[in-house]
Amino acid sequence: MQVHVVRGRNSDHPLMEANYRLRHRIFVDLQGWEALRREDQRDIDRFDNEDATHLLLTDRGELVGGSRITPLDRPNLLQTVFHGLVHGDFPTDLSLGADWTRFYVRPDRREGRRRAPESAALFCAMMEYALSEGYSFITFVSSLAMLEHGTSVGWTITPLGPPALVDGKATVAAWIAVSEQALYTVRRATGMSQVLIPASSFVFTPPSAPLGM
Amino acid sequence: MSTIETLQRQESGQGVHAVMLEAIGDYGFSKFIISGLPDRGLDVRPFVLLSGWDSEWYARYTSLGYVHLDPVARHCFATTLPFDWSAAPYDRERDRGARQVMEEARDFDMHQGLCVPVHLEGGMQGVVSLVGKTAALDDKNRLELHMLALYAHGRMRFLHTLGQDGVRRAITPREAEVLKWVAAGKTASDIAGITGLSVRTVNQHCENAQRRLGTSNRLHTVVEAIRHKLITL
Repeated sequence: MQVHVVRGRNSDHPLMEANYRLRHRIFVDLQGWEALRREDQRDIDRFDNEDATHLLLTDRGELVGGSRITPLDRPNLLQTVFHGLVHGDFPTDLSLGADWTRFYVRPDRREGRRRAPESAALFCAMMEYALSEGYSFITFVSSLAMLEHGTSVGWTITPLGPPALVDGKATVAAWIAVSEQALYTVRRATGMSQVLIPASSFVFTPPSAPLGM
Repeated sequence: MSTIETLQRQESGQGVHAVMLEAIGDYGFSKFIISGLPDRGLDVRPFVLLSGWDSEWYARYTSLGYVHLDPVARHCFATTLPFDWSAAPYDRERDRGARQVMEEARDFDMHQGLCVPVHLEGGMQGVVSLVGKTAALDDKNRLELHMLALYAHGRMRFLHTLGQDGVRRAITPREAEVLKWVAAGKTASDIAGITGLSVRTVNQHCENAQRRLGTSNRLHTVVEAIRHKLITL
């Protein structure tokens, strides 16, 4: 399995079309988020913009999972659509946080195994990415089940407000502490033994001027 | 420090137990258990992550396979929401096993409580069950207890995975199923035919079970699985 870091709108990226279609199938058709339904069967919202980074997971070239990350000092889902779930303070300055949304694993990959390697890979990739970007916390809005999954890999998760029923589902907004320890424990708990996001993904592309000028 | 923060700092089952007892006490509960739910016929004990039950009832419930008769445990597979034990359906006329468990539980004063099902990936099922009266709980209390239970389950699963809690790692229900067929003398390709898995997957399950149990070959794995009552024949 391989993780691809796709930044910004990047609509030309070969995986993005599959990403939008798979998201529609999962979040609208299977999970019933009717507000996201679109005629063209692609889940694209206003946060699929220049600020977004997509972590896309492939296996033998096929898209099998994904996640979207938006810096909290840019317009984001947590502080707009879900602001009603946020009562408490953020742990530190918003510029040090990012909002994790649209986490998914292709449904046929979730069957028959205790911990799907796809979601393990995305959890690990998420923490690698957060560390490499210098974030100190990651927020999310999810069903309460995510609290169980997150703590089961040793992450420290703090609710931003009391859980509430959203469309009949027990939902919470919370933040995950980003640390080397959190990367270590998620790798250990999931048996992940490889780096998923190679350092080269983050190499600054130098201007064309030759060195020494 | 909040209960949830404290809970996540615990490094042992004992620690989680103490924090949980105090937290659920505020809602009128006195005991609880955190466990996985095994497939039919399997011993529940390797799946128990943390028991706060009276030892006499625990011994009776686990050794007699009550988990497979208990309507509360059964109902966990049918719902994602927490429910009162009294809301777990069973046929009082015909389902004698279920009735027996519920009646005996009454003798141990273990007949009222709140059950929080925990759905894990791959269809695995867990549960956090709190013992006590539920009549006074409002919706807000129920959401808080739901959240608390999931934190406790997650933390116990983490400690269990790391083996820091001294709990021996169980095999998965699927691995147990495959091992039962191995014990019955079936080959990998027989088992693939029976279970609908691929031969490769069957072999993978055997290898995973071997790794978990620290055994050296397939025969050794089956022997250890039987010895530890992870499979029953």
